[in-house]
Amino acid sequence: MSPEAMFQIANPIALLGWAALLLAPLAPRLVDTITHLIIPMLMALAYSALMLAHWSGATGGYGSLPEVMALFTDPHVALAGWVHYLAFDLFVGAWATRTARAEGIPHLLVLPHLALIFLFGPAGFLTFYAMVAAFRLRATSSGATI
Amino acid sequence: MTAQSLPQSLPRTVKSRLWADAPAFTGLALFITLTALPLIGAAMIDTRTFLDAPVWQKPLQFHLALATYVLTLAFFARFLPQGMTSRRWRIYAAVVSFCVLAELVWVGSAASYATASHFNVDDPVMGAIYGLMGVFAVILTSASLVMGVAIWRNPATGLAPALHLSVALGLILTFVLTLIAAGTLSSMLGHHIGTPVTNAALPILGWSREVGDLRVGHFFATHALHVLPIVGLIASRAFSADVARGTVLAAALAYVALVLLTMLQAFQGQPFLPWLG
Repeated sequence: MSPEAMFQIANPIALLGWAALLLAPLAPRLVDTITHLIIPMLMALAYSALMLAHWSGATGGYGSLPEVMALFTDPHVALAGWVHYLAFDLFVGAWATRTARAEGIPHLLVLPHLALIFLFGPAGFLTFYAMVAAFRLRATSSGATI
Repeated sequence: MTAQSLPQSLPRTVKSRLWADAPAFTGLALFITLTALPLIGAAMIDTRTFLDAPVWQKPLQFHLALATYVLTLAFFARFLPQGMTSRRWRIYAAVVSFCVLAELVWVGSAASYATASHFNVDDPVMGAIYGLMGVFAVILTSASLVMGVAIWRNPATGLAPALHLSVALGLILTFVLTLIAAGTLSSMLGHHIGTPVTNAALPILGWSREVGDLRVGHFFATHALHVLPIVGLIASRAFSADVARGTVLAAALAYVALVLLTMLQAFQGQPFLPWLG
């Protein structure tokens, strides 16, 4: 299977996970299993297989920026890198959804952060943590429950 | 647990017995099996070959073989004497487990570079690792000797005498015969005796259909711990105690002969059962 074909399969699977996260309150445990475990595991399997098969043949390395850039000129390694993003971003999205539920933060307020995590992973991670911090501070300073 | 109650109670208790009797080996077998999954994925997308075989075939064979070996040890652990769960035994099991994992990492890493793991003596670093892995292989195989002797000396296995003998003999012979077969194999420069032309090989096992293959003897040597207990199980049910005991001893002798003959056959450059495959 060509890297392009695998890319065309990986993206819809990730999107399915994100769609499930949007609807998480409808079936929290099912969505959690899919987005926290099943899809990231599938991605991890694909990533591991790609790296086992193609990492040793790729030029470049992890030691300098030009080396990393050279690594990504190999289509299989670049695909593995993309699958890495898809897997970990979804995992963080699932974690945020679950954390918000545990903290009593309404799912509606998580949605903008999920969008950010989906598009710009770490940026959404940052804004979500900022929101959690705000909720916690409010709870401790006012004594009010969230 | 008696021999009579063993088969009936297998499905219900076999899983919990494995965890209770040999947590390290049971967990290791499960881990090795699960980590074969990315290798299957790699095998599906990797088109490289080494010595005319797909590069991931050997790591997959090793995962399957070592998972089987470790799971078998975990199964037989129930016949160890009480008190074999001592600290010393647990440390030994951890060392064996480490050796198993090291072999798999080594074989898998070499495969990822489409290079040799065994017989790789051209490169000084890989040559040194090959030597070390030989030591590790002896250590991991020694587990069958240690368990075989302990089970031999355990008067309270609850097994029929012939079955008891066959389990102990199978384990001990696995160590002795594997040491002979694998030791011979490692003293050569490769597993073939002769030069294959078409590279025809048996599926899964990979044995040559054209020339002598020393891996055949290694295979049978290492599977003594499966074959003899099966003979013992059948004999202890079908025959009287004395006949059953004689059957097990005869089977053990025949099995030793089989291993030596397959090695002899390989040294003569003949494939094992050429009509196969």
